[in-house]
Amino acid sequence: MKDNNENEKTKKLQSNNLKNIINNISISDIMNSNSVNVVKSEDLPKTKVNTIKNETKYVLDKIELKKDSIITGNNIYGVGKVTKIKEFILEVSGLENVSFYEKVNIANKAIGYVTKLEANYTVVALLTKTNDIVVGDSVYQTNEELLGEYSPESVGRIIDMFGRDKLDDKKYKDTIKFRIEKEPFHIMDRRDVNRPLETGIAGIDLIYPIGKGQRQLIIGSKKTGKTQLCLDTIVNQANKDMLCIYVAIGKTKKEVKEIYYELVKKGAASYTLIISAFYEDLPTVLYLTPYFALSVASFYMMQGKDVLVVLDDLKRHADAYRQISLISNKAPGRDAYPADIFYAHARLLERACQYKNGASISILPVVETVGDDITDYISTNIISITDGQIVLSSKNFKKGEKPAINYGLSVSRLGGAVQTQEMKALGSKVRRKLLNYLETRDVYELANVDEMSSDLRKKLAEGKIIIENLKQYKYSPLSIDQIKSRFQFIDDEESND
Amino acid sequence: MNKIISVSDINVKIYTDKPSDIKVGEILGTNNNDNNYLFEVNEIANNIVTAIPLSSVIGLKRGVELVKVSDGLKIEYSDKILGRVFNSYGELIDRKLAFEETHPKNIYEKNLSLNEVAIDNKVMPTGIKVIDFFSPIAKGFKMGLLGGAGVGKTVLIKELINNIYKSKKSNAIFTGVGERLREGKELYDEMLESDLLDKMSIVFGQMGDNPVSRSKAVYSGLTLAEYLRDEKNQDVLLFVDNMFRFVQAKTEISTELKRFPVENGYPTTMASDVSEVEERINSVEKGSITSFQAIYVPADDLNDEAVQTITSHMDGQIVLDRHIAEKGLYPAINVFKSTSKLVNIEDVGKRHYELVENALKYFTRYEELEEIIAVLGIDELSKEDKDIFYRSRKLRNYFTQPMFVAENYTNIKGKFVNLEDLLDDVEKILNGQCDNIEEDKFLYIGTLEDLKPKGE
Repeated sequence: MKDNNENEKTKKLQSNNLKNIINNISISDIMNSNSVNVVKSEDLPKTKVNTIKNETKYVLDKIELKKDSIITGNNIYGVGKVTKIKEFILEVSGLENVSFYEKVNIANKAIGYVTKLEANYTVVALLTKTNDIVVGDSVYQTNEELLGEYSPESVGRIIDMFGRDKLDDKKYKDTIKFRIEKEPFHIMDRRDVNRPLETGIAGIDLIYPIGKGQRQLIIGSKKTGKTQLCLDTIVNQANKDMLCIYVAIGKTKKEVKEIYYELVKKGAASYTLIISAFYEDLPTVLYLTPYFALSVASFYMMQGKDVLVVLDDLKRHADAYRQISLISNKAPGRDAYPADIFYAHARLLERACQYKNGASISILPVVETVGDDITDYISTNIISITDGQIVLSSKNFKKGEKPAINYGLSVSRLGGAVQTQEMKALGSKVRRKLLNYLETRDVYELANVDEMSSDLRKKLAEGKIIIENLKQYKYSPLSIDQIKSRFQFIDDEESND
Repeated sequence: MNKIISVSDINVKIYTDKPSDIKVGEILGTNNNDNNYLFEVNEIANNIVTAIPLSSVIGLKRGVELVKVSDGLKIEYSDKILGRVFNSYGELIDRKLAFEETHPKNIYEKNLSLNEVAIDNKVMPTGIKVIDFFSPIAKGFKMGLLGGAGVGKTVLIKELINNIYKSKKSNAIFTGVGERLREGKELYDEMLESDLLDKMSIVFGQMGDNPVSRSKAVYSGLTLAEYLRDEKNQDVLLFVDNMFRFVQAKTEISTELKRFPVENGYPTTMASDVSEVEERINSVEKGSITSFQAIYVPADDLNDEAVQTITSHMDGQIVLDRHIAEKGLYPAINVFKSTSKLVNIEDVGKRHYELVENALKYFTRYEELEEIIAVLGIDELSKEDKDIFYRSRKLRNYFTQPMFVAENYTNIKGKFVNLEDLLDDVEKILNGQCDNIEEDKFLYIGTLEDLKPKGE
């Protein structure tokens, strides 16, 4: 390979390179080397042929298919050279024939994809890296768009976007490859969202109901029970013919493993899949993983299954994307996020839908805020995309009102459309009374109780009972009937009036 | 010969040997049937042309040859537009029959001259109490509906479509810019079900689309509205949801073109981009365009540069407030920040004008009192302040209103309120005729008339 490197300065480097390879090794040589895919470079004897084999192992399995065109001189695999390294972004010379978004291999040390084609160089973003890259490393084209890999066997496991099982660190054998990002579903293929997605939490199912095909944001500061709310929802999907995908974006390994054991313990593993991009993964992986997860979800939806996707969390995703953009010299906008951060989240969350075949994708994106402020840039962006938000408040959490939902700031834009007539009637009554109580409580806190009208006193007492009845410990879901009976007193009272 | 020399997400550079043959705004495309990439020319510098792709560029390579496809984006300009749904590029997306014969027109029409612009301040009731009272609307108005995320802009736009379009039976154009596809589909279904689609046409460049598509939707929608105004001499209603997204999409493109940003990353050309479209929305002698434009307020910051730039074109604005929504009071309109050019004695009359003044006076004092009460409690207030406090709360509750389009959510039937009833009711509340009615009773009613069966 060193011989080759010296030749690479000529302009026709790509074709020469492969012709050299072809000249040096016969096809039979390649076909006999079964072990090629598992050999590590340090195990190899330092002979020329073996080095070449190692360098080209990535393309070997395809050479048989393409050899005709190679022999006739139509070079298939271009080779370039790394000229600049900036964190996880490389500039590569050569690669004249590379496509936008093509997957490339960097000297068997790393995998990346093309994010920009410039007149005389190519920009490559790294996805995975095993060894340090140096200037001058060869970059091989794959003639393949960057695709995610997924095995349907991985339900109940923790996987990544490359078709690997993270628990035992093995790659699945039969993986399906698909585009990480797909075009939005056609507007005429969408149907109304009107089937309830039961979370088992009274405060949600009754007051701010979620429908299948809806996107409902879970937003709150650290330690307010955001992830717990999502896990509760997943656990409540048992025997409801729902596939759940929990996407961990920028979580630590320990956190993900804890979530995994929780789900196994609660019997949710049989219908839940964890797709993970860990904190330590490259920002590109953190950025792409949720898109991949939604492609997996579409795969199941097209087969007629209802899918629930939890994206935990999109603030980290925004930060990873900001990192990529700023390193790529894009001009920063508000809070230094790139101008297209809204688009990045919009096209991701627009993948939720009630499809014409009856199946659906629902998304529960999670956003972590600072100091209970939901009006920062990223939060409001995502609120403006989702079909409502469940706001969790640290004040309620500390007061022991768990789940710590802030009923004033939470919204469901679909509201009663996804509830049964009965739940809708009860829900809107409870919500009106509750909001009215919360507002009046603040104003009349200092007023003299004895001088209050009996109506007002009743209202305050009733509000307290509603708050009490909305409390629920984790993993103790309520069925619709249980919720109804808990709040039946509102209806009874009204008929007594 | 035109060859691609560089590619990024929404920006390609093309080498051309005949720059004199290419004009800004023209559409270039690959001359290849399997992969049809299209580009709109944006900048030309000697032999290098910068163009923005109309769709994803995944798989595109350097060296690909491009040919001229058309001299610019076009949309149908005939009676056939009614009842149809287009995307930003003027293509039909409703899966109905394609047009047999087309009359396409370039979407970048010139502005109207000063001479052509007509003004007519005739009040147009919306049936929504708080709007008709505090910021009334006239034919030919440009009304901005401002609000942060999730405070009810889209519901209000839909209610306006319901109340004005349905009752007026005039033509309407709905332009969806960077908003939810789900809501777009719901609007289409509702119009179809209630047989109202035949007088409306719709353009969608929604939030899942790339910024080029989102930025073009406004131009396409305007061209349709202009057809109805100029060729059919109609009074047209134009709904744009959401104008901020137009600026946002332009920002994304501008960033990719490596142009210098101004505050918060907005493009240098923001003011001219906005006035380019806003100045096309005007009335002429024979026809009018009344427009309702939802304007998203990023990070709840009303002083945002883009929001300020857009609202400088508005004749009035309705501001939705998160603190009001939080209290469950919908529509969550902030009456202090909502304005209209019409609130003067000449246009709305002395009585209406004085009632508005009075109501605002009450609300201002109420806000001050709230702070006092938080410390001292209600009992410490003077008799006069107590009256103001309780009446303001009643008035505030009275201005909530059940909406037709939110029936699903509130479980209460929508109400359309006439201006005369509204003025009578406000007068009654302010001069104390309702002092003995519980404040809760005023929530989500139409007029005070609704209280009668319970009150008697």
